[in-house]
Amino acid sequence: MSHVLQKKDFWAGVLYIAFGAAAFWIGRDYPMGTAGRMGAGYFPSVLSVILMLIGLLSAARAFRQEGQPVGAIAWKPLALVVGSVALFGLLLPTAGLVVALTVLILTSAFASQYFRLDPKAVAGLILLVAFCTVVFVKALGVPLPLVGSWFGE
Amino acid sequence: MKSLKLLSAAVLGIAISAPAFAAGYPEKPVTVVVPFPAGGASDTTARVTTQKMQESLGQPIVVENKPGANGSLGAGQVAKAKADGYTLIVGSIGVYAINPVLYKSLPYDPTKDFDLLTVAVRTPNVLVANPNFPANNVKELVEHLKKNPEKVTFASSGAGSSDHLTAALFWQKTGTTGVHVPYKGGAPAITDLIGGHADVSFQNLGAVSNHIKAGKLKLLAVTAEKRNPTFSDAPTMKEAGVEGVEVYSWQAVAAPKGLPADVKSKLEQSLISALNSPDVKGKFNDIGFEVVANTSGQFSDFLNQEISRWKTVVETGKITADQ
Amino acid sequence: METISNLWLGLETALTFWNLTYCMTGVLLGTAIGVLPGLGPTATIAMLLPVTFGLPPVSALIMLAGIYYGAQYGGSTTAILVNLPGESSSVVTALDGYQMARQGKAGKALATAAIGSFFAGTVATVLLAVFAPPLADLALQFGPAEYFSLMVLGLVASVVLAHGSLLHAFGMIILGLILGLIGTDVNSGTTRYTFGFPQIADGINFVVVAMGVFGLGEIIGNLENEATRTAVLKSVTGLMPTREDLKRIAAPILRGTILGSMLGILPGGGAMLASFAAYTLEKKVSRTPEQFGKGAIEGVAGPESANNAGAQTSFIPMLTLGIPSNPVMALMIGAMIMQGIQPGPSVMTEQPVLFWGLIVSMWIGNLFLLVLNLPLIGLWVRMISVPYHFLYPAILVFCAIGVFSLNNATFDVYLMAIFGFLGYIFRKLDCEPAPMLLGFILGPMMEEHLRRAMLISKGDTMVFLGRPISATMLILAFILLATVLAPAVRQKREEAFQEEG
Repeated sequence: MSHVLQKKDFWAGVLYIAFGAAAFWIGRDYPMGTAGRMGAGYFPSVLSVILMLIGLLSAARAFRQEGQPVGAIAWKPLALVVGSVALFGLLLPTAGLVVALTVLILTSAFASQYFRLDPKAVAGLILLVAFCTVVFVKALGVPLPLVGSWFGE
Repeated sequence: MKSLKLLSAAVLGIAISAPAFAAGYPEKPVTVVVPFPAGGASDTTARVTTQKMQESLGQPIVVENKPGANGSLGAGQVAKAKADGYTLIVGSIGVYAINPVLYKSLPYDPTKDFDLLTVAVRTPNVLVANPNFPANNVKELVEHLKKNPEKVTFASSGAGSSDHLTAALFWQKTGTTGVHVPYKGGAPAITDLIGGHADVSFQNLGAVSNHIKAGKLKLLAVTAEKRNPTFSDAPTMKEAGVEGVEVYSWQAVAAPKGLPADVKSKLEQSLISALNSPDVKGKFNDIGFEVVANTSGQFSDFLNQEISRWKTVVETGKITADQ
Repeated sequence: METISNLWLGLETALTFWNLTYCMTGVLLGTAIGVLPGLGPTATIAMLLPVTFGLPPVSALIMLAGIYYGAQYGGSTTAILVNLPGESSSVVTALDGYQMARQGKAGKALATAAIGSFFAGTVATVLLAVFAPPLADLALQFGPAEYFSLMVLGLVASVVLAHGSLLHAFGMIILGLILGLIGTDVNSGTTRYTFGFPQIADGINFVVVAMGVFGLGEIIGNLENEATRTAVLKSVTGLMPTREDLKRIAAPILRGTILGSMLGILPGGGAMLASFAAYTLEKKVSRTPEQFGKGAIEGVAGPESANNAGAQTSFIPMLTLGIPSNPVMALMIGAMIMQGIQPGPSVMTEQPVLFWGLIVSMWIGNLFLLVLNLPLIGLWVRMISVPYHFLYPAILVFCAIGVFSLNNATFDVYLMAIFGFLGYIFRKLDCEPAPMLLGFILGPMMEEHLRRAMLISKGDTMVFLGRPISATMLILAFILLATVLAPAVRQKREEAFQEEG
């Protein structure tokens, strides 16, 4: 039997309790109102208490029952994929779409063990950036700056 | 097809936009920010007006929707934009006059951060009721409200919307009370009114005129200075015996504070002539909007009046929308 | 008789060369946009609105409608192929459709979706033509109390979406409900859980959450077991459904169509529930409910038909009452206003050419979709056999641009990254995201209607049981909850027995 601290149920419970407690704490100042005229705090309080209870149940289940272990976290893909998207958001207004896309594609691609920066990959990269420029910026008119504030003005 | 060309011109325009700017305004496409989703009243106003303005300015005008936080998100961004005449805003009464009195922290101050250009259009609010509602005119409604305090439901398009405040103003002027029932926008409020789930509401004339014609809603009064030609039977609030409830929903154009004088006058001229052109006027009339097209000075005076009026209503009614 | 002459008028309008062209353009454009993850019909229609100014009103609306249902269809394709639901309705399609794709049955899933959608579209068009006005009146019977009860029913039904632990299904629904509270409270104007960011004062966009939790979460999860994923997709069997498959999906399609048509009429978010409701129904009537979530073809057929039927009938309140039932319809109303047409009850009598032309064009558009998409299936299936390390960066690109285009804001891109992180954590903990998404959609509406109903009834809770439609739905919800909980309770008891023995 795996240790409690390795079990999925335990950590899911922790997650629920954390979210519930945070929601309860932040929402403590919202006016409760009455049942007839419910305030903004009524629903959040009820929901966060229920979520915490479910969290307790889930964690308790981890102590009582056999459960699957969480397993290793894939830190590299997690960091690279999430990070590449955040970088895109950061670079879009400053460096512009072309740079932001290139960075997004390359950063995320390195998360794969199969990815090599060979001519085929470069061709794909250029094709994808060109496609986005033509379709989103030119055809659909999404206000994406092609070159950002670092280079213009 | 013509507009397709314009669109592609607009799009190409962005792509090659040069950073330099000089005397011959405008040299590149102008962006008009609409702080609400596409398809709403501000959006319609912006699109109909700018379509005409492109002709006199000779540059494409791109409408960009930046919705969020009752319009204050987009308005805040425009307030911080460069005052070069390439960023404008088309916003509603809410953006200019109501948000400032309702919210403690706004990312902009309409009287300080904007060069006010013109009030483009306005539309009166109308007091409508479900056809089965017992009162048939304003007098009966006031009596009914006095006999049944805190009973009659007033649907509005949101907490702190212009129709919510109009209802509050009406209660204050008539010494009555009702239950304010806010909705997410005007459409669901009107739906529940037609379905009889709510009793009465102040709505933009344009949004309900078809329902009144079809007999799905009962028109009690218009909140305008004069009767409406289409519904000439309906009295104004003043005629119905309630003073001081003349309320219009309006849409106005502004730019970040500090426009160069020549740019400002060029924009003003272009706006006013576009708004007064017969086809634009006709389009607005069709949807129940009345073209105002006043000068920037008139807009500024009008805005001060509106802000002080709504401030009183909000303070008297202890209305809050921000905690 | 009148209906036939009306339909004839519509046929004449819809079949003119230009209108056919616009219909086809709209459907093509819609499909293309729907397939690109993140870029939904709302954003596209908003962007293309100005293009339609120059067109005659009928053509403009025909094209916009084409984009709408084309995008709905295209969205299902992406949901099935890469587990990226861009619309709330395709969340359900992704559940079993993606599992089918992983088993090499992507072609079958796509064909099922196409056939189901076409059938549903046809039935819904007829409904629209014959019953539009009386159905619209029925929609008006739905007040706050009815909507609240409908939402309760929807939430209970969403428990069925999960195929794992019941406890986690409840947990994720509640979590979704809480996430849905973020933003401005409709009833009081208070902003909740926004941490001072005005960008989320109107709540977090559904697409941001879906792209993050499903899209990014899936990608990270796949990269974790990269070798296994590549192997799974090697074997592609049977592009088209067999005769036996067709027999299996006939009843689900019919049930989905009926359910979807009915829910689509309700302007207060009914259409959103259509696919969820259909999935729940199929899982409940199925003799093999344990296959749901593991690639059951019925789990694609029912919801897809319901979704398309709902998309069609959601035009009923828009055309007959001028009431938008979703953001896309609100944009259509905006387009009509821009064309000088005031939507409302008089459209049908004053603009018969527009009304009937649009209705007939929708059927033609659905036919186009079928003809267009069946041959495309082979292409799509080949597309997902592209090496994954080429595919996923492209998916990320489309997600990022699509999410940006929602509000033209980079803030949403950051939010998507955060939800991507959460999505991966949920996967690791066996917390299924589908119930959370439904809670996220329904939560704000449920609270809004509950509080409104209480406000109007002056705090009398009997309003929910005193009104027949509302009471019926609450009873249904209760029965459903009982049937969901009963097996779990029984199982517990059996487990206890076994442990003793």
